[in-house]
Amino acid sequence: MDPMDAIRQTFFQECEEQLAELESGLLAMQGGARDSETVNAVFRAVHSVKGGAGAFGLDDLVRFAHVFETTLEAVRSDQLVADAHVLKVMLRAADVLADLVRASRDGQVLDESHASASATELASLGGPAAGPAIADDADPLASLMFQPMMVEAAPEPDRWIVRFRPRAEMYAKANDAVMLLRELARLGPTSVSLDASDLPDLATLEPEGAYLAWTVQLQTDQPESSIQEVFEFVDCDCDVDIKPADAVMAEEPAAEVDPNADVMALIRSLQAEVAPEPEPAAIPEPILVAVPIPMAAPIAAAAPPPPQVREEAVAPKPTIRVDLDRVDRLIDLVGELVINGAMLTQRVGEAGISRASAVTVALDELEHLTREIQDSVMAIRAQPVKSVFARMPRLAREVAAMTGKQVRLTSEGEATEVDKTVIEHLADPLTHMIRNAIDHGLESPDVRRAAGKPEEGTVKLQALHRSGRIVIEVSDDGAGINRAKVRESAIAKGLVAPDAVLSDEETDNLIFLPGFSTADKVSDISGRGVGMDVVRRSIQALGGRINIASRPGKGSTFTLSLPLTLAVLDGMVVTVAEQTLIVPLTAIIETLQPRAADIHEMGDAARVIAIRGTYLPLIGVGAALGWADPERSVTGGVALLIEGEDGSRAVLLVDAIQGQRQVVIKSLEANYRRVPGVAAATILGDGRVALILDVDAIVSDARGDAPFAETRAELGLAYA
Amino acid sequence: MPSAAALKVLIVDDQQSMRLLIRGGLQQLGFREFDEAPDGEAGLRSLIASPVQLVISDFNMPKLDGLGLLRAVRVHPPTAKIAYIMLTGRGDAELVQRAVQFGVNNFLVKPFTVATLREKIEAVFGTLT
Repeated sequence: MDPMDAIRQTFFQECEEQLAELESGLLAMQGGARDSETVNAVFRAVHSVKGGAGAFGLDDLVRFAHVFETTLEAVRSDQLVADAHVLKVMLRAADVLADLVRASRDGQVLDESHASASATELASLGGPAAGPAIADDADPLASLMFQPMMVEAAPEPDRWIVRFRPRAEMYAKANDAVMLLRELARLGPTSVSLDASDLPDLATLEPEGAYLAWTVQLQTDQPESSIQEVFEFVDCDCDVDIKPADAVMAEEPAAEVDPNADVMALIRSLQAEVAPEPEPAAIPEPILVAVPIPMAAPIAAAAPPPPQVREEAVAPKPTIRVDLDRVDRLIDLVGELVINGAMLTQRVGEAGISRASAVTVALDELEHLTREIQDSVMAIRAQPVKSVFARMPRLAREVAAMTGKQVRLTSEGEATEVDKTVIEHLADPLTHMIRNAIDHGLESPDVRRAAGKPEEGTVKLQALHRSGRIVIEVSDDGAGINRAKVRESAIAKGLVAPDAVLSDEETDNLIFLPGFSTADKVSDISGRGVGMDVVRRSIQALGGRINIASRPGKGSTFTLSLPLTLAVLDGMVVTVAEQTLIVPLTAIIETLQPRAADIHEMGDAARVIAIRGTYLPLIGVGAALGWADPERSVTGGVALLIEGEDGSRAVLLVDAIQGQRQVVIKSLEANYRRVPGVAAATILGDGRVALILDVDAIVSDARGDAPFAETRAELGLAYA
Repeated sequence: MPSAAALKVLIVDDQQSMRLLIRGGLQQLGFREFDEAPDGEAGLRSLIASPVQLVISDFNMPKLDGLGLLRAVRVHPPTAKIAYIMLTGRGDAELVQRAVQFGVNNFLVKPFTVATLREKIEAVFGTLT
């Protein structure tokens, strides 16, 4: 790459950092922070963007940043009070600046009015006369009469301080002080000061007395002896004191307040830090001997420990930037390693080697280490959700401006880490949910006031780890879901029967149905034909769940629960019609042995099973996939009580359970094509491919929501 | 008439892109040895540990700004005589005045060309060879 391009890229990366700093600084100021540290950081961010933009000839960016900087300078110098209005304008300007940076980076040209409107708004805030236009190209330093200071190429001359006080005897011997001063001047530039403080008044003045003294500052490259030579002949008749200037300055008592005390203290502390430390005595490393611990049969590989939730404010740790492809390749390889390890374990078992033998024990140890490597590698891809959360304040501002509502967006748990792919796919659903929360959730300021709530609504964004998954909550303190209206709308659209009996929770969940929208008027914000059903689908595509809890008048909370990684899955390995299938463990609530007495036929091949008094649909997986005869007897199999993404429960019937294990997910879509009813595939220990069941698809198919009869034929083709 | 290759330069700027630009410019002028620091404090630490002949420093930086670094360089006898060129934005008269007071050798106004960079350095060291 052209080195200049590389620097440009670095610049734009830095710009993103500066923009983030700018926004968080302005938000902190909105929260009441007025310390110079914050204000300076905000100023510096804009200043740095401007400086770099100038270097790359990005004139639009420079022009806008300059106006922005001028306003910030006014705030910094207390000429402009950063009140709510000023901060609002500046936050908008920060958004415009971000747009300009990105447009410059991508080589696009932004609509001029975008920036100029914001610039006008900034200028209208007042403060000092909006900075001088930066068109003038004359060297701004020319007018300052600054003379660059040369550094002498020759060794810097030493500076001496010569104190010279003649005694009367010196004059008596016809020596002239002026002559001596001239002699000194021949050694180098001098500056002479006269000390006439001993001079008595005229009445008491002794004509032949000696009252004067001189201090001479001399710069010379001559040695000290040359200075002494000047005084050679008068040595006994005067007091001469020759000292290097540095030494004299050190002797001089310090001024009352040393203006440089701060930097001198800093120098001292840095000197102490930089000074080489004595080599610490070598501490012998403790030698660890690995003692293999025989492990029980490797059932139930524990879920990977959630990546550490990092403290909010940690000192920056050294990092390296690594090509993502390399990390993904590593993850792939570790995945293969896990599969190979499992295959090896299986072969060893088949060979009839005792579980207590050294080979098996070593193999267990190897498997344990492999898991650890896998967890560590996964952690490389983990990133704090902050990158997505950071985009939301701007969105909230824009939506609030469009809807005329007042919003405060707070976020918590920004340091919670989750896989990069999950993060990337989180942006769209979150964007939509925040929009919804403000547009549909929050009431307008006057309605809120009438309801006795603060005019400013609050939308809270929160991330946390819970039982091996990441949970993201979007909650608002708005009106809550209007259930009557939701029901009415769903009935009008034919989504539910007019006489359907729905619980509050079921009613709330209607908003996730495709084609549902309650907005009275199609607004520019939420009513884009993208409904909550799309949000739900994209969350499900990530292996996640979405739930809603709403209290009328108090607000709604949307809860997303997502896997920490998309690369591995804890699965139950089951047998269905002599095929091996994987059922995601997260979907399974319990397993049970169905008794014939609990199973009831519901007519047309539909069956329900009674579990502790509740009737749940019973779905034969083999039949659902078209691998087995639906009329088959159900006893002798194993029933899995599962909960779908929407919270609905059902019971899946399989032939047998083989065990529980972590499997590496291989996309079926990427290697073959999307198959309804199947979420993905994996490779088993014996090298065979096993399909991972899409539990929700199976359940909704059984309900008749989404028939995929054609799938059966397809699966038959693929796995005949 | 110093040779650029014989002069070691410390580049202090909080933006990596800016440091890269300055370094690139200096390389075109024949400079070979560089130290870099992202703020004044790190710059000072670097100077105390390994002295240079020329400091090119931005003004607006976190921790210790360009003026602070200049003052520190001047009060610390081992570094007091190091040439110091300050990077500034346009027309900041007050900053220039204070920097002159603290003994800055020259200024470099952003954005700059390699020719300007040479001119500013030569005004301090004499013609570079």
